[in-house]
Amino acid sequence: MALNTLEFYVKIGAATKSIDKPLHLGVVGSGDMEVLMEPKDLKGAASVKVVTPVAGFEELWKRLIETFATETLLGDVQFKINDNNATPAVVLLRLRQAFTEATEE
Amino acid sequence: MPKWNDLQEQNFLESDARARAIGLVDEGSFTELAGPFDRFHSPHLETLGEAVEFDDGIVTGVGKIGKTLVFVISQEGRFIGGSVGEVGSAKMVNTIRLATEFYDKLVAEHPDATDEEKPIVVISFETGGVRLHESNAGLLAHAEVIDQIQKARHKVPVISVIGSKIGCFGGMGFVAAATDAIVMSEYGRLGLTGPEVIEQEMGKEEFDSGDRALVFRTTGGRHKYIMGDCDVLVKGSIKDFREALQKLAPLPVSDFEAMRRVASPELVEKQLKLVALTAELQPKDARDLWAKAGNADPIATENKPIDEFLAETKRLTI
Repeated sequence: MALNTLEFYVKIGAATKSIDKPLHLGVVGSGDMEVLMEPKDLKGAASVKVVTPVAGFEELWKRLIETFATETLLGDVQFKINDNNATPAVVLLRLRQAFTEATEE
Repeated sequence: MPKWNDLQEQNFLESDARARAIGLVDEGSFTELAGPFDRFHSPHLETLGEAVEFDDGIVTGVGKIGKTLVFVISQEGRFIGGSVGEVGSAKMVNTIRLATEFYDKLVAEHPDATDEEKPIVVISFETGGVRLHESNAGLLAHAEVIDQIQKARHKVPVISVIGSKIGCFGGMGFVAAATDAIVMSEYGRLGLTGPEVIEQEMGKEEFDSGDRALVFRTTGGRHKYIMGDCDVLVKGSIKDFREALQKLAPLPVSDFEAMRRVASPELVEKQLKLVALTAELQPKDARDLWAKAGNADPIATENKPIDEFLAETKRLTI
């Protein structure tokens, strides 16, 4: 049993939004996660690194980030996520919170 | 990042480590050191396949209260019960060391610096103690923190702040006892062996950890205040805690000696007298000690609103 590291890129065609400063949100409680969002020129794509004790959900993570990117049109961003058994609903919630905070001010 | 103004009225009990760190110092003054972007996580958890956190469950940094530079350490209870391992305690040790070095430099270069301008350390505890995953490294880490607190003694006051959900237990209970002053809310809990562990080891007859009232009147802020384990009892918002720190920050470091619990022959004498008193009194409940302190109606002491409690309650004198 080791920690699993998933690394992948997500690119949606229509990415038009970006963030201008790095942001950290969340606490790695049980069933929760934290995310670092950092701006990075990736030609509209998003790079994702997830560190999680749970194995076998890479496809689901990809679909979640795609859903999030499609919903927010966010690109040129680097996600670094520490997960501790967060459910998909919690993951989306935290990402949305981070996005709101990053684009608010 | 949470907004300072919103944080002030927020319940300290439910605030996460970063919110407490930001809210305990003056508006906009907090700068995080070794924060999540520096990504110092625990190598031990990684080996064990346990979830890691970018800041290893501890927020460290520096802020200001008035003219006082405040070195802040704030523990996150939601990450593995606020347990302290190698990385987390290295962050604690180095924050206290930075404060001490800053003090030395300040005094060398500005011998006329006032007490208000001298730094303090504030530790917001929310922890069950050693992170057992890191065994010896975690234990050693606690000793190093206490060692660093002793090095700061007579120079930089180290103030404990306890009012978070998990309380302050295990090895970190020793660390809190080694600090110069302790500020608590009535919801804060302080002890060595936690209630659940006592019940598990000694049985329900010894200590029923499901009995919330019993747990709070044995480990909670009101009891600690009467017993002198807690120096300042405050209501419950982040602002209440910050205002207590505001009053403590400008005091000369010699004033903190009177608030200390350990590390002088006089204090050992005092502790032994307390042991003698409990041997003589054979208390069956915290209430027996409250009565001994001069509170005729201990049940009312437990239940009255906190303002009345602070105004009327007599503290145990030894």
